[in-house]
Amino acid sequence: MIGVNLMLKWKSILLHLGLIAGLIMSIFPFYWLLVMATRTTSEIYSFPPKLWFGPHLFDNIARVLSSIDFFGAFWNTLFVASACTLLVLFFDSLAGFTFAKFNFPGKKWLFVLLLATMMVPAQLSLVPSFVIMAEFGWVGTYKALIIPGMVNAFGIFWIRQYAQESVPSELLDAGKIDGCGFFRLYWNISLPILRPALSFLAAFTFIGVWNDYLWPLIILNDENKFTLQVALSSLNGIYTTDYSMVIAGTLLAVIPLIVMFLFISKQFISDIAAGAIKS
Amino acid sequence: MNIRRTVCLGLLMLIMVISGCAGTTPTEKTKTLTLWYWNRSLDDDLIKAAEQQFPGIRIDAQKIGGDFKSKLKTTLAAGSGGPDIVAFNDWVAELFTSSDRFYDLYDLGAQQIEQDFLEWKWRLGVTPGGEMIALPIDTGPTALFYRADLFEEAGLPSDPDEVHEQLATWDQYFEAGQKLQEHFDNKVKMLDNINNIYNQVNAQSDRIYFNPDDTFIGDTADSSMKTAWDLAVKAAEMKLSANASTQSSEWNAAMNNGRIASFVGAVWMKEILMQAAPDTSGKWRVARGPGGDGNNGGSFLAIMKTSKYPQEAFDVIRWIQNPENQIQSFDKMNLFPSATKALDAPVMSKPEAFFGNQATGEIFSASAMNVKPAYFGGKHGNLNGIVSRELSSVALEGKNPDKAWNDALARVKKELLR
Amino acid sequence: MKNSMLNHPAPPEQKAVPSHPRPKHRLTSEIWKHRKEYLAISPFFIVFAIFGLFPIAFSMFLSFQKWDGIGEMTFNGLNNYQFMLTDPEFWKAVGNTLLIWVYSTIPMLFFALIIAFLLNAAFVRFRTFFRIGYFLPNVTSLVAVAIVFGTLFSNNYGLLNYVLSLFGIPSVEWLNKTWGIQLAVSVMVIWRWVGYNAIIYLAGLQSIPSVLYEAAKIDGASGIQAFFKITIPNLRPIILFTVITSTIGGMQVFTEPQVLVGNDGGVSGGGLTIVLYLYREAFVHNYFGYGAAVGWGMFVLIALFSILNWRMVQGKPSND
Repeated sequence: MIGVNLMLKWKSILLHLGLIAGLIMSIFPFYWLLVMATRTTSEIYSFPPKLWFGPHLFDNIARVLSSIDFFGAFWNTLFVASACTLLVLFFDSLAGFTFAKFNFPGKKWLFVLLLATMMVPAQLSLVPSFVIMAEFGWVGTYKALIIPGMVNAFGIFWIRQYAQESVPSELLDAGKIDGCGFFRLYWNISLPILRPALSFLAAFTFIGVWNDYLWPLIILNDENKFTLQVALSSLNGIYTTDYSMVIAGTLLAVIPLIVMFLFISKQFISDIAAGAIKS
Repeated sequence: MNIRRTVCLGLLMLIMVISGCAGTTPTEKTKTLTLWYWNRSLDDDLIKAAEQQFPGIRIDAQKIGGDFKSKLKTTLAAGSGGPDIVAFNDWVAELFTSSDRFYDLYDLGAQQIEQDFLEWKWRLGVTPGGEMIALPIDTGPTALFYRADLFEEAGLPSDPDEVHEQLATWDQYFEAGQKLQEHFDNKVKMLDNINNIYNQVNAQSDRIYFNPDDTFIGDTADSSMKTAWDLAVKAAEMKLSANASTQSSEWNAAMNNGRIASFVGAVWMKEILMQAAPDTSGKWRVARGPGGDGNNGGSFLAIMKTSKYPQEAFDVIRWIQNPENQIQSFDKMNLFPSATKALDAPVMSKPEAFFGNQATGEIFSASAMNVKPAYFGGKHGNLNGIVSRELSSVALEGKNPDKAWNDALARVKKELLR
Repeated sequence: MKNSMLNHPAPPEQKAVPSHPRPKHRLTSEIWKHRKEYLAISPFFIVFAIFGLFPIAFSMFLSFQKWDGIGEMTFNGLNNYQFMLTDPEFWKAVGNTLLIWVYSTIPMLFFALIIAFLLNAAFVRFRTFFRIGYFLPNVTSLVAVAIVFGTLFSNNYGLLNYVLSLFGIPSVEWLNKTWGIQLAVSVMVIWRWVGYNAIIYLAGLQSIPSVLYEAAKIDGASGIQAFFKITIPNLRPIILFTVITSTIGGMQVFTEPQVLVGNDGGVSGGGLTIVLYLYREAFVHNYFGYGAAVGWGMFVLIALFSILNWRMVQGKPSND
């Protein structure tokens, strides 16, 4: 029996060592980013590299703030991501709820059509989408970022799955008898029940929009409207000779989302997993 | 439920923001001029000074990163938005087909200052139809930048005149490189990359890819294309290159760490070098370049048709580019003047600590005398890109140079038919 | 859908009445009756029609035009397609995309499986902590990731070369080689997605009823047998899911090479993926018509690839 216990103990140690090794790989780039952000450009370029923190973090950050309007880009990103998220929450939940709880002619076909649209890669229409935005006069505006992304098939699918399971039809029937109209059935009765699904959809959409790069890169042309990703890539392109500043800018751009993620991580991760199992 | 209230409130605000105001409140008193430029193409302080000079005008100066030209062309394609004033680089001719999207500066009073500028530079901004769409900023006379300390240690000449004399041709330059690398056991490389050799040989020529009537001449003996290619390939075969591409952090690191002993570049490279390699200050010198003098780069300012204040914009760029300000920009930013009056200013012979108190302005002035302006044409940039890609395959992945040349030419011919 | 539907599509009384001659009319009235439902689902279809469907149709038209986005459009026949099919760089981009997909997907799913197994062991402590740590790369912006990995793989000051030098290995010019660029891009993809896929596998593992394993144990099956006979078959739909999502992702790699080695994809176009090629031709070189044609080329390739993927999975005999 002692032998088995000992073996188990060793197994456990090995297993944790493996997990920790993987974790280090996963975390190390963040550490490295932080180290470089505290160094001067010459120190970053030096060989052998400096592996520990230096004293220049605030100096570097100060140069970032004087070179680009970092907080402006931050607020722009926050605005676009929040706007998209709110619209997605509203339109996706409304449509998902409808698909889950009502019957109407053509419903099945419409839903299949909706799923089929997920298969079309967005990059196929990169050029025509740009041309359309140009026709609308939307190039350089947030409309071009927000409106096409204000409702999506994935979210509708996700809400529908959740609503089917968790919104009891009896409750809706009761509401109907009490004289609730369609919108109140959705807004007053179902929405509160859908809350867990909505919070995941919100986080998922928010992170996606926050990190979006290709489309904002093409659409935005006024520095004052740049999102963080575009501003960061622009910083990287302009100030190659001040590399410690570019790195400090990278650090600043990474922090907000990570902080947000740490707050919601536990629930978000289990939702991701649950979503994959369901679909 | 508070989630519903949040969503509701948020949606309401959003609808107001998206539909209502696009953020364009009409300016009553201050006129805002948006300016697009890239880092080091204009002196930031001079732009601020322009606001002082023109009360009632605010300049929203934006440094555009990444690919400046593609951002500009995308904006032209969008048909709306964009800046009032925009900087062009030596690809100015690519925009001649879109000349209707820019103000003809002759209409705004450009004739009055025409005689102040170098004639060849001025003409580069004039379309075949005679519209003046771009006002010159600077020019880019080229020369050899080299590390005097490393040259001396390796037994090469280190005085600028001697360097010019003994490294007068590309072949001599390459041989010197071999000697230097032997001395340093290849820990130091003679030059940064072979694409730069290709570009600099072409910069010394006035016939590169096109005749002024837009016929391709790259495959004729008339053009410098094949000569430049062969010299670049030779440098690769002699293993003289540190393979650090220009304007990359690799280049900066290699320069600052003293791994590269020299490069041929335009005068504006001074500014980049000084910022990239502060640790090597005092060790650099500049000599007249191997193979002759040339011109590489040099930019312009244009006013877009979408601008609401073209006359104000023109007054501002005219002021920014007046001879006094050009002298100041050279002093501060190493932007080599395009105004004739500025060319013999005292600042040209000012000693510089970074270059061991050499007055490099004198070298570049001498180089500028011999500029043979080349015709670029609308597809210069694309062709250069094609050749560049093949050259880096030769340099870095050992692609057979003959095959690479044939591939490049084949691709170029396809490109011309597009 | 076990729950009863609120609105029965055809109330029985109506059916019972024989004098209802025009079904067409009935359908319109049905639709009218459900106008609120249609209204509720309409935003998606409207937005998709304007920003999804119309651009696709328009891109068909554009792909036959010669247009720089600024001047006049001129009809170009099949020239764009001909140029695409005979352009070595297009095929290079296709090859690169597939290679990067292979280099990244296989190790990524492999490591993800291992991590999931480790995390699933009964005696793991701080499981939540590990899960968050592994997931963190996935929420990090790609632009930032590309900048940081650029400094790791740098030729002149990279950490990787330093590590090699500790073992006496001469430094490698990673970003000056096709394979080095593809490796760097793949490593970025792997790093970003291993944790994500591990979390999904973990959920899959946890959803396998432990009764199955107990039964196998009673039958005298070894751990390895149990792995192949129980774990893998039960995990198969989830593995399929991750393969599909990483295929979709893999076909769209853009930011990593664009930020790491620029619009040309670096040396010999080693990092030139299809989307980067499309972006460069359309938005850097301003061949808008051609960009639309490349979009279609990409679409056909993805479709072929998906069918292939699907057939491979379908072709396998089912284990249960």
